Amino acid sequence: MTRYTVPCGTIAFCLLAYWLSTQFDRVPPILLRGMQPEDFPQMVLLIIAALSVLVIIFEKPVENEPVGVNVWTSLGLFAVFALLSQIDLFLGLGIFAGALAWAWGERRFWGLGLVAIVSPAMIFLLFDMVFRIRFPRGFLTNLWYG
Amino acid sequence: MLMEPLFAGLYALMDPQLLVLLFAATLGGVIIGALPGLNATTGAALLLPFTITMDPIPAIAILTTIYCAATFAGAITAILINTPGTSASATTCLDGFPMAQRGEAGRALGMATVSSTIGGIISIVCLMMAAPLLARMAYNFAPPEYFALTVFGISMLATIGDGTPMKNIIAGSLGILLATVGKDLLTTVERFTFGFNELSEGIGFVPVMIGVFGISELLVQAERLQAERKLIQMKAIKLPSREDYRKVWKTILRSSGIGTFIGILPAEGATVASMIGYNEARRWSKTPEEFGKGAIEGIAGSEAANNSATGGAMVPTLALGIPGSPTAAVILAGLMVHGLQPGPTMFTEQAEFAYAIFWAMLLVNVMFIFVGLFGAKIFARVTFVPVQILWPIVFTFSIVGAYALDQSMLDVYIALVSGVIGYFMRRFGYSVVPLAIGLILGGMLEKRLGQSLIMLDDQWWLMFTRPLSLLFFLLTILALFGPYFWRLFTQRDPLRSTGE
Repeated sequence: MTRYTVPCGTIAFCLLAYWLSTQFDRVPPILLRGMQPEDFPQMVLLIIAALSVLVIIFEKPVENEPVGVNVWTSLGLFAVFALLSQIDLFLGLGIFAGALAWAWGERRFWGLGLVAIVSPAMIFLLFDMVFRIRFPRGFLTNLWYG
Repeated sequence: MLMEPLFAGLYALMDPQLLVLLFAATLGGVIIGALPGLNATTGAALLLPFTITMDPIPAIAILTTIYCAATFAGAITAILINTPGTSASATTCLDGFPMAQRGEAGRALGMATVSSTIGGIISIVCLMMAAPLLARMAYNFAPPEYFALTVFGISMLATIGDGTPMKNIIAGSLGILLATVGKDLLTTVERFTFGFNELSEGIGFVPVMIGVFGISELLVQAERLQAERKLIQMKAIKLPSREDYRKVWKTILRSSGIGTFIGILPAEGATVASMIGYNEARRWSKTPEEFGKGAIEGIAGSEAANNSATGGAMVPTLALGIPGSPTAAVILAGLMVHGLQPGPTMFTEQAEFAYAIFWAMLLVNVMFIFVGLFGAKIFARVTFVPVQILWPIVFTFSIVGAYALDQSMLDVYIALVSGVIGYFMRRFGYSVVPLAIGLILGGMLEKRLGQSLIMLDDQWWLMFTRPLSLLFFLLTILALFGPYFWRLFTQRDPLRSTGE
């Protein structure tokens, strides 16, 4: 990745966000006290864009190793978790945790069981019974909530 | 009059249940500090959701306990396995590990424990005296002064984290931009909500912090799966001898002063303090050549400084509402989640609460002695928890924690996205700490700017005619451009340029 990609991406993001900010509702001048709602975000966006230009000019590029296989696998599992959490949050967490441990080299049965079953169950019970947090209903949580 | 809230705070803490909780938090903090990849900031961010159902005093006392304990615990792994548990202990490795290699691990850990405790206690005493004074000074601040102070606090982000000043300010500004999501406080117009009702109240601090500190660290750990660590054997921890004390007492006092001062500066934390404390210890030492080869003064200088920065960092956090360090930013978020408004009024309207927090921090520093002396050997083993077991569990905690605060699945996805963004930011040299602090201060900054404009009848330049706001703006310029001017000045020095 060249040294320009991140700052240029940031500038493109700023342009998009700036355009979005022009779509905000405006307060009629007679009712306005202080700033219009878009003024402050636009000021911040201009600062970010200006600094990104300075980064292009003055900053040395960061030398990075390519993103490793383990990171890509973890990112892929994030996506799987995001999809599974639509069915059930704890089902997603259990499968994610087990799969991540497996992908990172854990092969012991007790280790996989600990991260995929025991820890999500314990955390669920802790938050449900001690902190009285109500989790979204789903395939597994319905077994508890009835 | 002054003593009343002081003792009321102590009395509030004398609940046996709370004391047990604080002891458990101290052990938890030490374990967090010793676990690979976890530090005080990540630990506080992950445990923040656990405190939401508690009363404010135990909730914030637990977070500050985690802060102090995890900062201390970094020394254990720094000395025994040459891996600093927290970045604030990086300088402790330089002399701690060589001492451990030559069979003096117990002596090194004893010195780390004692200097951490002394540094911590000195800084808490300073906090008890300085915070109310600072709050009293700030009591008469009008919005322009507050705005200028917040700008100064944000400018200090330039020098923190791993990034360069420009990248830090970009990251901080991104945090401020995130704070504009939701209803504008002055006009109630919705901004960047994309039709999601849950975003009307803005993006929560907690899911973003869990994402950028916790989940992004999981991805960083994914890159380091092959790292090998080797534990140095230690017979027993040893309290410093009279000879050791004679050698280091000045270093401990100096580093405690440095750490407290650095901690008080907005956004600067224990890492900077330990570096300066270590360098000053070497500069003033009679035997600077021993540094890096196992000098006991090096351990004392680094540990007294990093632990005293914790107390110092709480001064601007509680008195002004400007976080003194990354972990203090998480604690500030915790205060806000509990509906508390840090700032000058805290010492008039919630003085008992403020002093209870001070006492809790003081108590934790005393607990270190016991935990450090008796538990170091065990806690060092915690570092060997396999990352493939630890991090999936941390992820489960992170996600459930992000959900728990508002019981919203959107927060879960915000934490996830923040984690991915945080990882790539770190990869490209943008620190995530300014992003988190920017998010916390962003709302405050906009509100104070809006109030200032109303007060000054839209004539913003009048802010520069007010002495205190002008002072803060000048300090901002100094914080942002001082290092560049300094470099320019030193480069022009002919002696330096010729290397003489």
